[in-house]
Amino acid sequence: MRSARSDLSRLRSSDVFRVGGLGLRARKVRTLLTALGIAIGIAAMVAVLGITASEDAQVQAELDALGPNLLEVFEGESITGEDIVLPVESAAMIERIGPIEVAAQVSVVDATVRRTEFVPAAQTGGIVVLATDLDVLDAVDGVVATGTFLDARSAETPAVVLGSVAAERLGVRSLDPTPIVYLTDTYFQVIGVLESVRLAPGFDRAAFIGAPIAQTLFEAELEPQTIYVDVVDGWLDDVRALIAATIRPEAPNEVTVTRPSDAIEARDVTSDSFRSLLLGLGAVALLVGGVGIANVMVISVLERQGEIGVRRALGATRRHIRLQFVVESALLSLLGGVAGVGIGAAITAAYAEREDSVVSVPIEALVLGVGAALVIGGFAGLYPAARAARLDPAEAVRPG
Amino acid sequence: MISDSLGEVVLALRDVKKSYPGTPPIHALAGVDLEIRSGELVAVVGPSGSGKSTMLNMMGALDRPTSGSVVVEGRDLSRLNDRRLSGLRGRKIGFVFQQFHLIDGIGNIENVATGRLYHGVSRRRRRSEAVEMLERVGLGHRLQNRPNQLSGGERQRVAIARALLGDPAIVLADEPTGNLDSGTSEEIMTLLHDLNGQGATIVVITHDRELAASLPRTVSLLDGRIENDSVLNDSVLNDSVLNDSGLGGR
Repeated sequence: MRSARSDLSRLRSSDVFRVGGLGLRARKVRTLLTALGIAIGIAAMVAVLGITASEDAQVQAELDALGPNLLEVFEGESITGEDIVLPVESAAMIERIGPIEVAAQVSVVDATVRRTEFVPAAQTGGIVVLATDLDVLDAVDGVVATGTFLDARSAETPAVVLGSVAAERLGVRSLDPTPIVYLTDTYFQVIGVLESVRLAPGFDRAAFIGAPIAQTLFEAELEPQTIYVDVVDGWLDDVRALIAATIRPEAPNEVTVTRPSDAIEARDVTSDSFRSLLLGLGAVALLVGGVGIANVMVISVLERQGEIGVRRALGATRRHIRLQFVVESALLSLLGGVAGVGIGAAITAAYAEREDSVVSVPIEALVLGVGAALVIGGFAGLYPAARAARLDPAEAVRPG
Repeated sequence: MISDSLGEVVLALRDVKKSYPGTPPIHALAGVDLEIRSGELVAVVGPSGSGKSTMLNMMGALDRPTSGSVVVEGRDLSRLNDRRLSGLRGRKIGFVFQQFHLIDGIGNIENVATGRLYHGVSRRRRRSEAVEMLERVGLGHRLQNRPNQLSGGERQRVAIARALLGDPAIVLADEPTGNLDSGTSEEIMTLLHDLNGQGATIVVITHDRELAASLPRTVSLLDGRIENDSVLNDSVLNDSVLNDSGLGGR
């Protein structure tokens, strides 16, 4: 007897890929069009992941720039519904907690702001007059656009600093010559205008005056409306837990403490659901691409019956034929996947460029994209490959 | 001795019957006994429906008989599973088809080299064997071309080169000149004669009686049976083949 082993059919693994790639090279246009379906799906998913990752990076960068350690403290609600009044020395009390960079408060002054005395008192333009601590801008990362903020001297004089929107409403465009505005019954000099304050949006519609002049002219009580607390890095949660009890030990639950940067993070959370939707659409595109591949492979098997028959005649086993078509399908999809990942990364880069934000394409998205394409292609090829393997070689080599 | 000119039995059909299910069932082969010896050039001839194609399927291990046995180089095919049957088909039998069945998209060398693809032979070796074989069938000047750049006769030469690669025990040519004009047909038959002269065992399946008559031995099929098995040219072959036909052994 001869050795049976040497008589078996064998296909080298390098040849498996060569044979699998053959059908793709022979029909280039069809290959490109079919791979395009997968490419679109993968590109969509990579772009969604890339763009949202870039946005996350952007938001993180903003938070870092703003300092995520700011707390806002204001009165809560009492059970009985009475107005709650926080102590005038709230900021000083909070500073005594310890790890605090700055604690500064503002209080509402019962006064109106108008351009001149001839404007009716009812037309306030929605501008609030705030008596402020002098270091409040340090706490909220506020920036003066032109002029200066209040200092110890100007706080005792009729001087006012306007928020960005307030300045616009009062027609203040330049500080030269020094403009004046009318507060209830006194003209004040405008000594500064603020940039928009991101962490304290209320500042944009406010007119800031010193606490001493507020007491002198408007008999302000200086009960704090809001206390801004910039906490030392790493102490945020500890300080947050102590604030209410510090300034209102008799009823700490009637004090509200919030973190403005939470709102910015919340904006990011809302984009999460949007991301899921887009990812879902990408997945559908991918699925459609997979069905397209299966479809094209079925047609290809029908067209290539002769080739399949000849391969069987030349010694290919059913397994070899099945392998050939699964590999062809997977390679086809892989081609689309690689192209899709490239396109997706390019879209992300273009988007980041336009938004002037950080480019961040997660490696996982790239690996996942290529991997998903491979798996989809492999699955799409299973049925056509099984059909090819089932072909009767005797019939396959004969037309009709 | 006879065995000087005639080798061992490379392929034997013993009482091979093949029916296809249906009402009534079709008996494509109704008990065929045939032996092909090494070095023979045989025509299997018959009108359409005589069982030629079924005979090719049996001889080429493309299909299994309903009863009887097919023996290739001493091995009974009915006992082999798909993997072993495919292995035997790939190594022992070469096929030439009327429609050439060359693979589009790859060159002539790769097409011929496919004849050894499923033998687990390295690509380099396959290709060098293929080049040699293409030169042997007179296509040394067409190495760099693709099948779709060739004439019909040239394509069939490529197919013949593929069939011969790996030195199979027997080459089965199914209507090898069926798609060719008469001049080209003659060239292909001359090539087959030459290759047979160099030692290849070749069976040509055809409906063309004139073509069949030009070969040393003609097996005529009718209604799934061997109607006649004759050796026309060589008297020595004639006697031995007639004596042995259908009986097996020497």
